[in-house]
Amino acid sequence: MTRLFEAIVYGFSSSGILFMVSLALSIGYGLMRVVNMEAMLYYSFGAYITYTIVHATGSFVLGAIAGTLLGALLGLLVETQLLRRVYHREMMFSMVVTYAVFLIGIGVIQFIWGLEPKPVQAPIDGMLSFLGISVPIYRVIIIAIALVAYALIQLLINKTITGKALRAGIENRDNVVALGININKIFTTTFVVASAFAGLGGALNAPIIMVGPYMGFDMLLLSFITVILGGLGSIKGTAVSALILGQVISVGGMIWSPLAAVGPFVVMIIVILFRPTGLFGVKGKAFGFDD
Amino acid sequence: MELSTNKGPVREKSGRSIDFGFLGPLVMVAVIMGARYLFPDKLAFFTEASIYAIYVMGNNILMGYLGYVSFGQPFYLSTGAYAAAIYFAYLGNSPIVAILLAVAVGLALSAVFGPIFMRLKGNYYTLVNAALCAIGLFTYEKLLIGVTNGNDGLWFRARIAKMPFLDVRLTSNLFLMVCVILALLLFLYRWMDKSALGAVFRATKINSRKAKFLGYNPYAVRIIGFTLATVLSTIAGALFAINYGFVNPNLGENSRSIEVLIATLLGGVGSVYGPVFGAFGFLGIKDIVSRFMSRWEFAVGIITILVLFFFSKGIWGFIRLIGKGVTEKLFRKKTAGSIGKEK
Amino acid sequence: MTDKTKLLEIRDLDVSYGNLAVLFDVSLEVEKGEVVVLVGRNGAGKTTLFRSIAGFLPKRKGSVLFKGENINSKEAYRIAQGGIKYIHQDKQVFSDLTVKENFELSSYATKDYDWDPLFVFFPKLKTLLGRKAGALSGGERQMLLMAMALLGKPDLLLLDEPTEGLAPHVITDLVGVFKEVSKTTTLFIIEQNLPLVAGIADRVYCMREGKIAAEITEHSEIAGISFEKYL
Repeated sequence: MTRLFEAIVYGFSSSGILFMVSLALSIGYGLMRVVNMEAMLYYSFGAYITYTIVHATGSFVLGAIAGTLLGALLGLLVETQLLRRVYHREMMFSMVVTYAVFLIGIGVIQFIWGLEPKPVQAPIDGMLSFLGISVPIYRVIIIAIALVAYALIQLLINKTITGKALRAGIENRDNVVALGININKIFTTTFVVASAFAGLGGALNAPIIMVGPYMGFDMLLLSFITVILGGLGSIKGTAVSALILGQVISVGGMIWSPLAAVGPFVVMIIVILFRPTGLFGVKGKAFGFDD
Repeated sequence: MELSTNKGPVREKSGRSIDFGFLGPLVMVAVIMGARYLFPDKLAFFTEASIYAIYVMGNNILMGYLGYVSFGQPFYLSTGAYAAAIYFAYLGNSPIVAILLAVAVGLALSAVFGPIFMRLKGNYYTLVNAALCAIGLFTYEKLLIGVTNGNDGLWFRARIAKMPFLDVRLTSNLFLMVCVILALLLFLYRWMDKSALGAVFRATKINSRKAKFLGYNPYAVRIIGFTLATVLSTIAGALFAINYGFVNPNLGENSRSIEVLIATLLGGVGSVYGPVFGAFGFLGIKDIVSRFMSRWEFAVGIITILVLFFFSKGIWGFIRLIGKGVTEKLFRKKTAGSIGKEK
Repeated sequence: MTDKTKLLEIRDLDVSYGNLAVLFDVSLEVEKGEVVVLVGRNGAGKTTLFRSIAGFLPKRKGSVLFKGENINSKEAYRIAQGGIKYIHQDKQVFSDLTVKENFELSSYATKDYDWDPLFVFFPKLKTLLGRKAGALSGGERQMLLMAMALLGKPDLLLLDEPTEGLAPHVITDLVGVFKEVSKTTTLFIIEQNLPLVAGIADRVYCMREGKIAAEITEHSEIAGISFEKYL
């Protein structure tokens, strides 16, 4: 039984990472209708720069900050230089182009850091014991950070005027423009925030998983499942489905180990069958066919 | 994007300015066969590329006719391959049966997934397919390891029997068989493209609601397209299996999903002969580049971007464009806004 | 020397959707203080014209001059900031936000936080401030959209079929609002309701198959709706 509770806690920490990493995808689609496959680069580069900084200075906190900033920087670069040019093209185009960028990014990672996996030490080693269970403190910290991230984003989206413009833009981009609002700038800002979180997610995940050139691949699929399950364009959806999938991987994996790998896919396919828009699909945008 | 990019009625070019008529497929395959004899040491390449062309044809239907981007085509390819492999390893030894089995498997997959997938809109379809690919990979690699031998691969070369008229255990003979199949499929493909079905595909892709009002059932049309695409992929898979004599999960890896997309784009999406050019072009480039770089991903990424931004009509589209320019000059015909002008 | 009272001047405008040409050689003008109405059958290109003016469609040929300035290549949001507000045909509001938040968005864009004049035009909206915009009726939405558009005191409102789908008494109210608003703002309206046109238009342009078929300036012709023959 304690194993179950511990698995649940582990699941929450996975959910936290998954949520932060998937934001860029969710927002990219929600506002600009791009499926940006390069999103995992912010995650991967975040992890790698953390490795480099930790290796050089021994400070994980510095590494995590660097990861966040690098994620933001890369997001800014990609959004302004590449994504802007493909917004008006069909989705097929942006999908394949961003995937190509993803591949190029992996090549760059291999070039800079090589092929071998890089170990990153967790900043805190101890365990936290409460209610009879024992989990690594680090995992609890991740959960805390993810909660703060969620709260921050909810605040931004619901309480600030730019957040409201963003939500309006998700529903009807052209009408926001017709009011005289430069939605592009708002979107860039939001995107950079999202990619910063992805970088942070990469940094936080670095001690847990193997930091290797292909870490982005595994996370890409998982991230997409999260966003599709939650409903493209819905932050709340991303959060909820991250919660669900984190448990599927953790508790499911505990029950039957293949579930950790395959469970998320199966869950997604089942949900999509009954609700093609995902759990909280964006209002006003039908994802079935309108024929 | 509601206001700004309402495309309205779009003129889709189904016309070809170079078209060899119904002999086209024969000419195409004859060129391939001729080239193979010119470069006898490249037999393996020609065989692979010809099989790959069939695979690309399948994706071409998805992309060009239905407008879907699938990041999971390797699933169908590897399923066809494993169907043939399992047959050879445990059940029998006739290549013909193996191919027919692959067709049956393709039909079965379409029956299961077609109705579900064709309800999904583009982006969902893409990712669900990617998920399917991952599940498939897991299935072949781990779940069914007892049957498939997982990563060790399923070997069955020795069990392939000599067919009555052609021993395909010899690569040169296999190449001939593949050419015959390719020619046949090209015929059918071209026939379909020119027929009402081809037009209905295009109509449904452009404006499915209007197609419905015309009396066509877009959903059914899509399922037909999906079935055709899937069966082509499984056939290609079976041919690959026969070609290699063994199958391992690599064939169905997610990371390879981009390759067939690039090949399709490279050849020219939606055209009849595009897949052949795309297959040969892509595998040719891969062959050359991998001699210089071990980091293949980087090159694939760059090629994709180059193709997408500068070469969007693909090789075949480029040839057509040149051909059109040439014939225009020769015959001084005005082709402004021409649709379907055949030469 | 550009005549400064010509608020909007369009010369020889060609617009295409990709390869498909939709507007041909459109030339017209709207003077400050006028109520100009654009009529035409479905598919004549009226909405396309408005979209082009507002910056949502690229112009293939010709020019659009607003207050003497060529706005051909100006970005849509800048055109809106410059004083042209376009209200789309489908009366879409930001349904997830409240009426108040919808206003806040417009105020944020225009830096105009003075809502009182709007409540003079649309008193009902004051009672609806807390409601989610998605819950409003068609008439209320149209009012909200107009109110939002009026923030920032735009020079020109492009109204695309504002009375479409609305109940008769709502239309009457709306027409009253048009007349009030037109005292301070120039209106360029697309309308299919011809009797209504007769009641409010200073001038009428008839559009047919992407071209301007006629310009009616005679009041008797407008009132008598004799321009119908040009459609």
